[in-house]
Amino acid sequence: MTAPPIVQLKATGKRFGAGPPVLEAINLEVERGEFISLIGPSGCGKSTLLRLIAGLTPPTAGEIIVDGMTPANAREEVFFVFQDSNLLPWRRVAANVELPLMLRRDLTLKRRERVKAMLELVGLGDAAEKYPWQLSGGMKMRVSIARALSVAPHILLLDEPFGALDEMTRDHLNEDLLGIRARDPFTAFFVTHSVAEAVFLSTRVVVLSANPGRVHRVITVPFPYPRPPELRETPEFLQLLAETSRELRAVRH
Amino acid sequence: MKRHLPWLLPVATGALLIAAWYGLKRLFHVESFVLPAPDEILTAAWRERRALISAVGLTAQGAVLGFLAAVGVGFGLSMFLAFSIRIKQSFYPYILILQMTPVIILAPIFVLWLGQGLPSIVAITFMICFFPVVANTTMGFISVDRNLQELFVMCNATRSQEIRYLRVPGAMPYFLTGVKIAGTLAPIGAITGDFLAGSAQNGVGGIGFMTITYFSQLKTPALFATGMIACLLGFLFVFGVNFLHWFLLHQWHDSLVRKE
Repeated sequence: MTAPPIVQLKATGKRFGAGPPVLEAINLEVERGEFISLIGPSGCGKSTLLRLIAGLTPPTAGEIIVDGMTPANAREEVFFVFQDSNLLPWRRVAANVELPLMLRRDLTLKRRERVKAMLELVGLGDAAEKYPWQLSGGMKMRVSIARALSVAPHILLLDEPFGALDEMTRDHLNEDLLGIRARDPFTAFFVTHSVAEAVFLSTRVVVLSANPGRVHRVITVPFPYPRPPELRETPEFLQLLAETSRELRAVRH
Repeated sequence: MKRHLPWLLPVATGALLIAAWYGLKRLFHVESFVLPAPDEILTAAWRERRALISAVGLTAQGAVLGFLAAVGVGFGLSMFLAFSIRIKQSFYPYILILQMTPVIILAPIFVLWLGQGLPSIVAITFMICFFPVVANTTMGFISVDRNLQELFVMCNATRSQEIRYLRVPGAMPYFLTGVKIAGTLAPIGAITGDFLAGSAQNGVGGIGFMTITYFSQLKTPALFATGMIACLLGFLFVFGVNFLHWFLLHQWHDSLVRKE
């Protein structure tokens, strides 16, 4: 008997008010431990899809089941990494990482040690006492990821987390993210504009079409983990990259 | 030379202005009861030092109490107003009405209710100071970053956690802007209050009261000296609130952190 999918979207649709549907008839089953990238033209509703799974906004059609519960009830198991780092400017780095633990009153994890471990995991052990303004964009994003991981979520939703960073920083953070996941396995939903990023990270890439957002194609990425940086230069990777780009162009009309 | 300019320039300008003051007074034979010379003002300040010191003390007391009441009540009221848009819609017009009624009309009403003296002065200072605190702080509580709010939702934060860890610190810069404005208004409020509702013991009242006394006695140099003291009190207040602003924000807020 196989384990039930951790996230199920059944004919899920979303429209805001009386406007046209943003998402329509989304069907997707995601197994525990998968890394799903969502890619598509702007306005295809990929961020909205993340927000639906987070329970930040309700669907207007169909159903979403997160670990057997409604998204709002499953929030304990989910965390969100926002588009910009979304840190509280008046709290030091360590206090920012500690925030979800404090607010959720999670007593199972020892807070201080957990914060320290998470900061070391993202390579920012020395920055604990700094304020966000003292950090670069890439460092802030690392703090944001440490904060998300602090509550040991089963599901991590990442909304274009590296979109504002330069390519080199982005590649590094991609490698780091996979490294972290190898130690701390979580199911990931990752919204991005970068095909290379999507293919490098994911087990499956979901290509969405726009107006309304629908699943255009789901591409399975066969490469096993751990994935070394050199994977990006192999013909197989480049071929899959080309295929994914073609699919993306097809929906970009 | 260049690095001394920041203090040299204002000192030089001051010296020029004082010279012009003496020159014009001499040139047009202006009487001292119309325009006293700077040294006459200083002499008068020294002669009236006991009256002036106790006047400043009294006025400062009114200003501080009125200011603190305005800051405290203003902060609490803002939190109440920001709690829901319906509450704000219900109450804000009446706060505006209170603000729009001139203090000069409110003063006699306060005297009727509270009598001449400190309570009325505090009430008048409060009326002048509290609106900028309320307007700014309410704005701060309402304009919370949407993404941060969603972060708190993802953390399953309770309403009171959201207020304590998100809204209050987020509103701090706005609140302190209101406090700064209130700080510049407080001494003016207290002097106005003293002028309109002050009382005196043994001929000595607050700064507003002394103004009336010196004016009626045509002690113009002492009148100018009173103005000088009031100005000093104002600076002291501004210095105090600026320090508070710096103290609470210097570690994180964009207005105070130095970015390389």
